Amino acid sequence: MSALWQVLVAIFWWVIHTLLEPIWNARWVALPPLTGVMMMAMIVGAVLVAPREIVEGEVQRLMYIHVPVATISYLAFFVTAVASAIFLIGRDMRWDAIARGAATVGIMLTAFALLTGAIWGKPTWGVYWSWDARLTATLVLFLIYSGYLLARAVGGPNDEQAARYAAVVGIIGYIDIPLIHFSVDWWRTLHPQRIIFAPKPALPGEMLLVLLLGFLGILFLTLWLITLRGTTEYLVQRADRVRARLDQLERA
Amino acid sequence: MDNNLEFLFAGFAVFWAGLFVYLVMLQMRLRELQQEIETLEERLAESEQTEQSGNSTPNSSSS
Repeated sequence: MSALWQVLVAIFWWVIHTLLEPIWNARWVALPPLTGVMMMAMIVGAVLVAPREIVEGEVQRLMYIHVPVATISYLAFFVTAVASAIFLIGRDMRWDAIARGAATVGIMLTAFALLTGAIWGKPTWGVYWSWDARLTATLVLFLIYSGYLLARAVGGPNDEQAARYAAVVGIIGYIDIPLIHFSVDWWRTLHPQRIIFAPKPALPGEMLLVLLLGFLGILFLTLWLITLRGTTEYLVQRADRVRARLDQLERA
Repeated sequence: MDNNLEFLFAGFAVFWAGLFVYLVMLQMRLRELQQEIETLEERLAESEQTEQSGNSTPNSSSS
């Protein structure tokens, strides 16, 4: 059983390594220009290509930012949850650094989703905020992962116990995401029903195209920021270890 | 319904300003880290120097 488990773990790591290595090697060269190009294309498309929505007017163009940041924040928190799980299994602090990096990016994206949603809501619904199921669940997500970062900040960069507690929060917090996604189906909400991730997307082709550019732009931005932030956290851990070792040497 | 251009502008401004602030904060964190690494390098060089002079003293006295 133990041998079978070891073989399965080895196969898992081989697959992960084979899939991710080329992407990882190209990260600093490919991600910044891809992000820039896609974001510029999204802005040009949102302003010049996408048609003006008849009922909501110009403010509806916020959709090209609001929907991608809200959706791709789920990916950032997914990275946090997966990296936290791998950390709990193997106790390798590098995964803790990746989880922290992804959580900060996810929190930033969730904040953008809440703010752009509030600005879009005012002319459309007449209010900036409503204690609607989807809005409230998104605010809860923001607070859960802010709590995760707070729990992680209590200890030092190499505090394994703080990392363990934070990892548990990072995994459990992800349960809120299906709740956000399906909230518009399960409850009567002010927030519109799903029109993009639905069996038949109820949007014209030009709008869908610009939205796709928005998704790609925010996706590349997120991957770039997660790698940048994750690497920074890893370097902080290494610097902390070197400092501790030097302190030890100087005392001796 | 009017065009609501001011809300569109406000929404995009919040996004770009927020992203800019995040990148500035990340840049500051990296600069802090760079300074810390430089300090650690200096400390390491000092302790290596002390160790070398500590090692050379008994040799010179014995010769």
